[in-house]
Amino acid sequence: MKNVTYIKLCGGVGLAWVLALLFIPPFAQLVEQLMLLFLSTNAR
Amino acid sequence: MLRAVWQVLGLFALLLVLTLITLKLKNQNADGPSVLFPGGELTSGELYQGAEPDWAFTDDLFFIELQTNDPVSSRRIFVMESGGKVYVPSGYMQSFLGRLWKDWAFRVEEGSPLVVARMNGTRYERELVRVRDPEIINGVAEKLAQKYAGGATPETVAEIADSVTGGDTWIFEMKPRSESP
Repeated sequence: MKNVTYIKLCGGVGLAWVLALLFIPPFAQLVEQLMLLFLSTNAR
Repeated sequence: MLRAVWQVLGLFALLLVLTLITLKLKNQNADGPSVLFPGGELTSGELYQGAEPDWAFTDDLFFIELQTNDPVSSRRIFVMESGGKVYVPSGYMQSFLGRLWKDWAFRVEEGSPLVVARMNGTRYERELVRVRDPEIINGVAEKLAQKYAGGATPETVAEIADSVTGGDTWIFEMKPRSESP
């Protein structure tokens, strides 16, 4: 993938991700639960 | 091909950083903590007035929400009732990460002991006092082991009590607030 295309992709995906975390509470909760699962799995 | 792999990894790293920053900022003024991130001032829930409650009900609570001041922030924390009094722990106090993560406990110890605890939707205004009495510590260690470490075996209780005595785990009693002068 060309650099310019990649940067545009990162910008678009990143912006959509942040907006989803801010304005879709169930999505933010799901992401937190996945992070917690990852942390607790690796803490054992 | 290798370039594509790096690009995908880069995108995942970006999303991870964005997630941490966004959720940290989003939660810092929220009414209470989230699963992983500290929250702000506890504002909802009835403010308890009246005689000292029977804290035995905390045996059914895995976490409570605890708000400290200076700066105002709240987190989820274990709770233990022992001998009719109620206690909260703070672990990893001697590790580098603990010193960052448990900043609130150092602030309490340095002179900001007033807290608000929210349990079952009711807010209790309390004052944290660090416990150093070995007899009390043993009772609290027993409850901590029973609730959170799979059972109060003598070895587990001794291990927790040693951790408290050694300063790696701090135990605070949530006392009623002192009368204002």
